[in-house]
Amino acid sequence: MTTPLQSGLMPADSASGTTLHTIVAVMSFLACLTLGAVLTLSQLAAAWTDGLSGSITVQLLPSAQIAPEDQMREALRLVRQWPGIYEAKEVSSAQARSLLEPWLGEGNVLDDLPVPQLIEVTLTPGQDVELEGLGRALADGVPGAHLDDHQRWNQELASFAASTEGVGWAVLLLIALATLAIVIFATQAGLQAHREIVEVVHMIGARDVFIAAEFQRHFLWLGLRGGVIGLVLAAVTLVGSGFLWDSREAPVGAQLLPQLVSAPYHYIWLLFVPVVIGLIAMGTARLTVLRVLGRMA
Amino acid sequence: MVRFENVGMRYGLGPEILRDISFTLDQGSFHLLTGPSGAGKTSLLKLIYLAERPSRGAISMFGRDIATTPRDELPALRRRIGVVFQDFRLLDHLTVFENVSLPRRVTGELEFHYRAEVEELLSWVGLGNRLNAKPATLSGGEKQRVAIARAVVAKPELLLADEPTGNVDPDIGGRIMRLFIELNRLGTSVLIATHDQRLIERLPATRIFKLAEGRIGTTQATHELALPEARRA
Repeated sequence: MTTPLQSGLMPADSASGTTLHTIVAVMSFLACLTLGAVLTLSQLAAAWTDGLSGSITVQLLPSAQIAPEDQMREALRLVRQWPGIYEAKEVSSAQARSLLEPWLGEGNVLDDLPVPQLIEVTLTPGQDVELEGLGRALADGVPGAHLDDHQRWNQELASFAASTEGVGWAVLLLIALATLAIVIFATQAGLQAHREIVEVVHMIGARDVFIAAEFQRHFLWLGLRGGVIGLVLAAVTLVGSGFLWDSREAPVGAQLLPQLVSAPYHYIWLLFVPVVIGLIAMGTARLTVLRVLGRMA
Repeated sequence: MVRFENVGMRYGLGPEILRDISFTLDQGSFHLLTGPSGAGKTSLLKLIYLAERPSRGAISMFGRDIATTPRDELPALRRRIGVVFQDFRLLDHLTVFENVSLPRRVTGELEFHYRAEVEELLSWVGLGNRLNAKPATLSGGEKQRVAIARAVVAKPELLLADEPTGNVDPDIGGRIMRLFIELNRLGTSVLIATHDQRLIERLPATRIFKLAEGRIGTTQATHELALPEARRA
């Protein structure tokens, strides 16, 4: 007579069942959404700061010492010959007006204001540009010229992105801690519920690590199963929200909001969520069993 | 092999269950432990298979003083002991084959190493056709045979049995006792706790520990018992 594959020493449903699977799946779901948001935020922050740090602006304030046309011509000449400058172009007065219109409104109010002339400068990517020297050269050589390297905006954006990312990572840490606490509770309950089995296996000569291995295998699979269920639900939610964002039913302006997962390669990172949850569950179960058995006579 | 010196035992703060127990089990010996229910037979066996610690006195197992043996070295000692529990203590979610092979499995041995031996042993105790049955579907006698097979499958140096023939018919009981005697001939020390008079009468000359009110009162050899000639034949 042949014998089937050996069963685990702990009953298949020990310390688990539908409830525990559901909780782990929910944890995985929340972790996937949070991780997606953190990754997207990180990508957006990088794009914002890259965009800003790749360009500078030269403002030309009206000056009694130089005519506006000469001021523009001299500033353009100085900027274009500076090492590391890819492009420098004058922002027309019409463009400057359209930039100010949201704050000052339409009309002829701008005709009465001393609106500065602007030069938009694009830096050569990957090349260090001596911006401090350029600022000094402009200030010395062109009356009324002022260089704005967007440093203040850069710092504020970077600070905002870092703090929001930090919140995201903190949420992920909380999810991991909650998963850990659930597994500790479930392992202790499992040991209590199957104390008889643990005692028999002990009396037969099993070492603590053998019993711990039985529990850790059980919880690894529990973590992986629950984690994959949560991942699938999160993927459906993310893909679904992507369609909704782009659909006609979405409110005006919704397309401008960032999606929770904005790049396809972010989904690869999400695949790690069930693995990490499985490993957390496995490690926690092992340590819990060894701690509890160590206290036994 | 096993030495008890003035051992006492109590559960928690309760009364002393065992008092001043002193005896020695030599290698290859065969002993019976008798006494009325509640005399402390099971507690004494628990001390020997290292499930409990004594409240006082000294226990030496296989040359090791139990009081000074670290906890992580106890499994190695337990593997040298086979135990038939009075209440069988089979794992209900495992099959008969899996229950019996447990002592081999916990040592990390792979199934293909012991499968044939386990199947042969189960055939010998009359359970060759119940390999994949779960304990819940077995009769009391079948469960007892599974428990006995589990106790002897790893060829222990010391076999402890708590009422091993309590639930089986005389024919199976006889087979089980022959298995114990055969193991004893091969060098295994055997200690059987029982109050089954038929079992006592059937055994070869051996020592009997009589336990009463937590003390070993007298030791006696089976051939010294006053038994009717017809029953001893």
